Amino acid sequence: MRNVLARAATSLAVMAAAWFTVATVAHADEMDDILKRGELIVAVQTQGPPVSFVDKNGERTGFAVEFSREMAKDLGVKAVFQDYDWKGLIPALLAGKVDMIAGDMTPTPQRASQLLFSRPMFFNDTIAFATKDSEFKSWEDLNKEGVTVAALQGSTYADAVTKYLPKATLKVFAGGGPAVAQTLAMGRVNAMVGGQDYNTYVRQFDTLKPLDGVMTREPLAFATRPNAFHLKMWLDNYVELKTADNSLRDLLAYWWTSDAWEKDHK
Amino acid sequence: MNWVLDFYNYRIVEQYLGRFAEGLENTLIAAGVSLVAAVILGTILALGRMSGRAILWRPVAGYVAFVLATPLLVQIYLIYYGLPILVPATGRWSELTLGIMALSLHNAAYMSEIIRGGIGSVSRGQIEGGKAVGMSYLQRLRYIVLPQAFANTLPPLLGQTAVLIKDTSLLSIIAVFDFLSAGLLLNSERVRPNESFLTIAVGYLAIYAVMMSLSWAVKRWLAGPAWNVGR
Amino acid sequence: MQHYVDVTLSILPFLWSGFIQTIWISLVAIAAGSILGFVIGVVRSQRVPVLHQLFGLYIHILRGSPFLVQLYVFYFVLPNTGIEMLQWSSEMAAFVSLSVYTSSYVAEIIMGAIDTVPRGQWEAATSLGLKRIPILCLVVLPQALKLAVPPMSGVYVNIIKNTAILSVIGISELTRQGEISIMRFPRDVLFVYGLIALIYFIYCYPVLRFTRWAERKVGGGRLINLD
Repeated sequence: MRNVLARAATSLAVMAAAWFTVATVAHADEMDDILKRGELIVAVQTQGPPVSFVDKNGERTGFAVEFSREMAKDLGVKAVFQDYDWKGLIPALLAGKVDMIAGDMTPTPQRASQLLFSRPMFFNDTIAFATKDSEFKSWEDLNKEGVTVAALQGSTYADAVTKYLPKATLKVFAGGGPAVAQTLAMGRVNAMVGGQDYNTYVRQFDTLKPLDGVMTREPLAFATRPNAFHLKMWLDNYVELKTADNSLRDLLAYWWTSDAWEKDHK
Repeated sequence: MNWVLDFYNYRIVEQYLGRFAEGLENTLIAAGVSLVAAVILGTILALGRMSGRAILWRPVAGYVAFVLATPLLVQIYLIYYGLPILVPATGRWSELTLGIMALSLHNAAYMSEIIRGGIGSVSRGQIEGGKAVGMSYLQRLRYIVLPQAFANTLPPLLGQTAVLIKDTSLLSIIAVFDFLSAGLLLNSERVRPNESFLTIAVGYLAIYAVMMSLSWAVKRWLAGPAWNVGR
Repeated sequence: MQHYVDVTLSILPFLWSGFIQTIWISLVAIAAGSILGFVIGVVRSQRVPVLHQLFGLYIHILRGSPFLVQLYVFYFVLPNTGIEMLQWSSEMAAFVSLSVYTSSYVAEIIMGAIDTVPRGQWEAATSLGLKRIPILCLVVLPQALKLAVPPMSGVYVNIIKNTAILSVIGISELTRQGEISIMRFPRDVLFVYGLIALIYFIYCYPVLRFTRWAERKVGGGRLINLD
């Protein structure tokens, strides 16, 4: 009796092991998963126009969203968007909730040690803003004792302030770009540092102006899990192709380097 | 120790110890100061709320209802953006000061409800009994009223204090670098969610444990040798 | 003035959809959390040696750590265990984590209420020959539940306000929808937050009023020892 049981257990174990082997072969890579699922699951952050936002009709759109939609179309799958807060974006990718992060993330060395980044899709100028009545002309003028500069918490803009404006005092806010602009408009800080997309908010404040010069020019990329080599290679290839046929340039011209999107979506 | 590093890479956390310490300091300052302010202000509000005059209790009741039924996040923004419009001088105050103010005003409403319950819980017969055996006012306060009122208010007071400590993290929206912010900074810069969130959890649980043991000690001291009787 | 009317009309549909999310998630969490908390509270009030301390630890951990961290554990850490059952969608994770959080507060209130029922009630029922479970169900709980109602609404209002944290895992509740709207009207940060506060108030105030009403029904705001 015991012998039979032992044999049954052994064969069960073998079967289970075989099953797992088959299963691992079947899940050869993340690209297969996407194709089988029929869905490309994309994590986005609704950080505001023009990268990813909800427009006046309640539709999710923006450069990152539309570019991901094109990817899904070319793959023959549906693009599914999951909206996360900045805090939840990276954990969602690492926990396997999504296939990739489509947004304006800078591939810093520290981040790249934990994630795979695609080739840069676009570039973002870090610029400074101040009130119109201030004496600041260019961002270099901010590098003085007693000048307070605001930036978003955990952003590379905050790093740029520490690095290039060492004499100024940095204040980091967690509430989002518009709240930082509001703080500047109220005169609680002397300047703020952000991306070129901040122009969309700043234009709506009559009292604010961008300062001359570009502090840094940062590559922005989409991110995948550290073992998703196929998807990462696929993304690189995609950027290559879309650069070659100029469609990436056109998309960026619409969303990123001009205000063309404003009349359709704002 | 390799298996620990797999799950929780303390080497990365070590690099952020300075930021965590800075955050902890701000959290403790904000929570400590606003706790004291909220209890003082809450006592005043409780007395006002218990007054018979409508001109006193109605505004207090309205204030308490407003605070309890709206999110703290909004109240912080109201103080931060709104107050300088009303009182221009406050525009020069530091973020931490305004944040502590918002937390104090918010928690005072909660404390007033708790204190109101506590004052009502000591029966008059107890105080009269104290008079009958010849106790002075201070003795009655020390040996009769305070231990009972405190014992009755302590559990909800502690519960609210635990909430207050966690709520200080909301001050990060107005540039106060608190303990939670330190963890989130680690997550954002180094992309290590486990290290970030576990450290946050352990930190807050440690604060909570210290708070609970302190309150237990105070309760025993107030109750004197009879601490175990009556349960 | 016209500007504010325009802003309000333009963002109201967004806030409304967020409000619906907030209502429905909070109601489910309150219902499930209350049931779970009730069971834990009753079990804890019986002072069964190991169980009592175990649930005590459960309650302290939930009350001592930020809800954001708990949410993170439920949504991001549990799926890594590889168990199929724990592969929750963001809505499921939101419900479960918020319900568990609610239960820690409800359990304390229920246990406190049961402890407040005078011992004489137990003794009288025992002398009538009733066993532990019938005493609990027929004598103690009916009295305890009355005492537990007033403090409950404070907990519920806090749960409703805590739903704002759920945006981290992609739930578009009221606060999140408000923040999305602010992207379109960055100059009106304070105004939009004011609207959000008003909507929360409309939802939460009746819940708070319910306490006063319940207190009067039960007979005075009798304080319950939660320890």
